[in-house]
Amino acid sequence: MTINLASKKILIVEDQAIMRETIKHIMVTFGARHIIEAESGLNAITAMRVDKFDIVLCDYNLLRGKNGQQVLEEARHLKLLPINAIFIMVTGEQNPEMVLSAIDNKPDDYLIKPFNQQQLLIRIDRCYTRKKFLRSIDNKIDSGNLYQAIECCEELLQLNDKKMHLPLLKLRAELAIKVGDFKSAEAIYQGILQERDIPWARCGLGVVAFFLSFYDQAIETFQNLIKQYPVMLEAYDWLVKAYESLGNNESAMSSLNLAVELSPLSILRQKKLALLADKTQNLPVAKKAYMATIKLGKNSIHRSSSDYAGLANVYLKSNAPNEALKIVYELNQQFRNDPEAKLRSALLETRIYQAKDNKTLAQQAYGKAFKLNEEFNRQVSRELRLEMAKTFFLNGNGENCDEILNDLLKTNIDDKPFIKDIELMCDAIIGEEHANTLIQEIKKELVDINNKGVSLFQEGDIQGALAIFEQAITKTPNNHTINLNLIKVLIHDLKASQLASEKILRTQSFINKAIEIGVPHSQLSSLQKELTSLKENLSITS
Amino acid sequence: MLPIDFSALLASSIHDIKNSLGALRALLTQLEKIYIDPKPDELKHLNFEANRMNNILMQLLILYKIDLSQFSPTIDEHEVGEILEDVSAQQSTLLSLGNIKLITQCDNDLHCYCDSTLIGNALCTLVNNAQRYCLTKVLLSVAKEGDYVVFCIEDDGKGYPENLLTSDYKQLPLIDLATGNTGLGLFFTDTIAQLHVQGDKRGFITTDNNSQFGGARFRLYLP
Repeated sequence: MTINLASKKILIVEDQAIMRETIKHIMVTFGARHIIEAESGLNAITAMRVDKFDIVLCDYNLLRGKNGQQVLEEARHLKLLPINAIFIMVTGEQNPEMVLSAIDNKPDDYLIKPFNQQQLLIRIDRCYTRKKFLRSIDNKIDSGNLYQAIECCEELLQLNDKKMHLPLLKLRAELAIKVGDFKSAEAIYQGILQERDIPWARCGLGVVAFFLSFYDQAIETFQNLIKQYPVMLEAYDWLVKAYESLGNNESAMSSLNLAVELSPLSILRQKKLALLADKTQNLPVAKKAYMATIKLGKNSIHRSSSDYAGLANVYLKSNAPNEALKIVYELNQQFRNDPEAKLRSALLETRIYQAKDNKTLAQQAYGKAFKLNEEFNRQVSRELRLEMAKTFFLNGNGENCDEILNDLLKTNIDDKPFIKDIELMCDAIIGEEHANTLIQEIKKELVDINNKGVSLFQEGDIQGALAIFEQAITKTPNNHTINLNLIKVLIHDLKASQLASEKILRTQSFINKAIEIGVPHSQLSSLQKELTSLKENLSITS
Repeated sequence: MLPIDFSALLASSIHDIKNSLGALRALLTQLEKIYIDPKPDELKHLNFEANRMNNILMQLLILYKIDLSQFSPTIDEHEVGEILEDVSAQQSTLLSLGNIKLITQCDNDLHCYCDSTLIGNALCTLVNNAQRYCLTKVLLSVAKEGDYVVFCIEDDGKGYPENLLTSDYKQLPLIDLATGNTGLGLFFTDTIAQLHVQGDKRGFITTDNNSQFGGARFRLYLP
């Protein structure tokens, strides 16, 4: 064994006392000194809030409350797990990767029950060794510096460790996709496939095709994979996305339905199925999926008032306003002191009472929604704000409606799917062209700001240009052009003035942000190169 | 009378038995605490038999799912050394009883493409069977042979009975009541071997009595 258990903090999550005792006994025999036990998911989370663990062994089937996957999701979401910690899921499933596969948040490894002492130790040791090998990359990914993560990956590949070669290539390709460097990802996958038919590499090629908008090709790839590997959930998830991008929501829904049948415990898939079924007016499927989502949500970090609202809406659409009202009541019970939930329930009540033709109560509910919107405004999710805008318009308040729409469009101008949602809503209830007019105005405004900044820059007024872009970014934080121009000016400023590490860090954070909002690799990579060389200069001079 | 859907019935029964087995194992662990070291060998043996039953049930469930197209292997590159290490670890309980030696052999850096959990499970069953029928030792060795990686299990027992030397493992051999030999392990391994495909090549198995120690020889070929 290469791992020294004596220095490690270990958490054992297992509901059966005997099993917990057995695992603990093995660990102690092999030198472990810091072991905490938890018999439920809730206690596991509490323990992780207190201690930072190096190793978590978590049973999947915890009798009460959260299951192992829900523990993992919550721990990662709340950042309770140190980035280099290993999380091993213990399960009785023989093919856990399929049966338990969640959309995201996979454990570092699975350990299949029953296992003996040696099997447990080997699993921990291998998992730890692998994680340690990849540590530099994980750290960079965690801090959002994807280009540096790629560099680390390249360095590790140079070591020619045969066992890690393929896992590193896989990671390298995934990172390339994340920064939008699809050509590199494609080349890596093709290189692998020339040697060997490996399912994940084929799936990777499909993903590349998807991002390059070759949707038909992507769909064919995923379908072929599913034909050969009928339980490969990842292929289903991408197939669904590809259909959605083609606007073929019907096929997206039926594919997702198959994936949900294979993994009924995955809350995010159920949630997505509910939304898709809702969109395609398939009310029975939507109802079933919303109910499943609500049930799974009881112990999950993904629990949301929007699932209750979705179900209430389905009832409303099925002409069952009283059922809808019951769900709203449940929503209020489940989410106290949650502004988002309050606003949702007020909006639902407005529509339900309107459907029941109860003008007084409908008016009352609308008044409540109005107030809540004034109070919480930007604190609630964008989907809900769009819903609010719609309700404003339907109740004859076009001005407040446009105020929200303008704000939503400004902050999301480069997010095509969401802009599409706004357009669809406007087309349906306000009128064609309404959204388009607003969008054109915003785009013009952005062009003006950009032009102003650029011309100041060209005149040599760097600080002036910087001020313009800095101000613009607070108003439209997700705009590609403004992000890019800000980065360019910042780098120019860095070159011209005394190098300072905090300025470099700040510039890096804008590059990380730009990757996140989808600024293309072709526009970012050269800027990252410049910044990296500035960083190197700084470390040489200091 | 309605026709009985025997396979569905069996599948749900397997789940039931598996749960029972889980409870049984828990009880065993409790029982173990009563004894101070050195614990009686019977306990280890009990544990091992419980594992073996579990393995068989797993195989049945996987075969059931394959039949319904609800199963596919998770193929990736794996270091052969690690797979052998897993098999030895799984067998360690029985081996510690001391009568039989399991020797594993493979080249460093030998890799193969497979579902390592599935292959590990299959090899465990077969090694386990070999241990039951051998005299002193079992050799598990792996080598590359052309386009295949070959896992070979040899022992020094009496060799396979005639009914297990057929080349058609798809045909489940009749249960030999005298020896209790069902051939399920071979049937399972052959089935999952065939799920491993590369180009026009498929995995397969062979059995003969040409062990270098004079007993049975089993070989699993993975492309």
